[in-house]
Amino acid sequence: MSDETTDRPDLSTALRDALPTYEAPPTLSAWATEQARRFDSESRGESARVPERKRATTFSVARWQIAAALVCAAALGWAGATLRTVTHRISATDQTASALLDTHIRSLLPGHLIDVQSSDRHTVKPWFAGRIDISPPVMDLASKGFPLIGGRLDYVQGHSAAAIVYGRRLHMINLFVWRAVPGEQAVASTVRDGYAILHWTTGDLSYWAVTDAAPADLDAFRAAYLEQASPPASR
Amino acid sequence: MMRRSASVEPPIATDDTTRVPDHTQERGFERVVLPHLSAGFTLARYLTENAQDAEDAVQDAIVRAMRYFHTLRGDDARPWFLTIVRRVCLTSYSADYQARENSLSVDEPALQLIDSDETPDTALQRSFVRDRVRAAVDQLPPPLREAIVLRELQGCSYGEIAMITDAPIGTVMSRLSRARERLAALLQGVVDMGDVA
Repeated sequence: MSDETTDRPDLSTALRDALPTYEAPPTLSAWATEQARRFDSESRGESARVPERKRATTFSVARWQIAAALVCAAALGWAGATLRTVTHRISATDQTASALLDTHIRSLLPGHLIDVQSSDRHTVKPWFAGRIDISPPVMDLASKGFPLIGGRLDYVQGHSAAAIVYGRRLHMINLFVWRAVPGEQAVASTVRDGYAILHWTTGDLSYWAVTDAAPADLDAFRAAYLEQASPPASR
Repeated sequence: MMRRSASVEPPIATDDTTRVPDHTQERGFERVVLPHLSAGFTLARYLTENAQDAEDAVQDAIVRAMRYFHTLRGDDARPWFLTIVRRVCLTSYSADYQARENSLSVDEPALQLIDSDETPDTALQRSFVRDRVRAAVDQLPPPLREAIVLRELQGCSYGEIAMITDAPIGTVMSRLSRARERLAALLQGVVDMGDVA
């Protein structure tokens, strides 16, 4: 440690002089302040609730769950990255993507996000029955970092869509589901105006996930969703 | 890839079962963490090497920090927040970090007269020294560069650098010493190195 006291002042001075430090840009500061205030007021209002961690019973369990979730996230991230290699790009002119983006942004306006608010998939899934002619799979993905927030009926490009809303940290994921058209591209993604869109199909259903979270989050989301839809035998 | 993804986990309080009550959370995220926003941005700027990525990385780090805020103990959130920033940078923006090991492009600050007595000649001399120093720092391998930036620009203690870079303190000391040796060699005749070389 003696080294610490015998710093070469000349080198240090030269370094501090040559290498700039940066102020956080005003946009970043403003955003962070807003987020922090919201976080702080929510924490005070709801007994220090942390996003995504609704039921932390004891701390050791919570910590274990975090570790498990991260291991899963890592594995899924890996799987996602692998899947990514066969992902097509959604063309810049794709009108479905544009329409979904509009719908996603509109859904974020106050009071537009959900018609049925529940983190219980047994509440959300039946809600769609009778409202739309498909039965979209509704998964509980809270353990994977995507808590279920609720569901909504939406209308995109001339047809009804089930919109299932998941959280991702402080972001929202709108998962739109409708009946697939034969011959649809299997997996496709794009980033538009800062929003990530990921599309896939399973069976006769077409899925479109839209979020302002990172594109990698959508890959992880899809992997979690698909894994939950057909869980491995060991689970 | 997998290992790097897993390392996103922010620093978690050492032993949760014996934790003592602490008022960090009551003070609120804004007062505890936001004062270190610019420090985080500066670190991200050096690690990602461009302003947009740095901004994105700090945003990610803020979100992550909120999620793990309940694990923070003690008053000084700076090393804790810098740890998160660094992990986000290396995980999400590390393609560049790994691929372009030897480039460190920083914005060129305008030529500034430091004090009123300074003549344009000495200003030019300072600018020359700056260029040489920056070029020398550019040539350091990322772990050495990171250590020296944390030490000299952020004024972090050895212990804090060890925490932030997830390395033993001995490694940190050896990195700093190697960084200084290399800089001394690269900057011979430019900067007075005292007894280094």
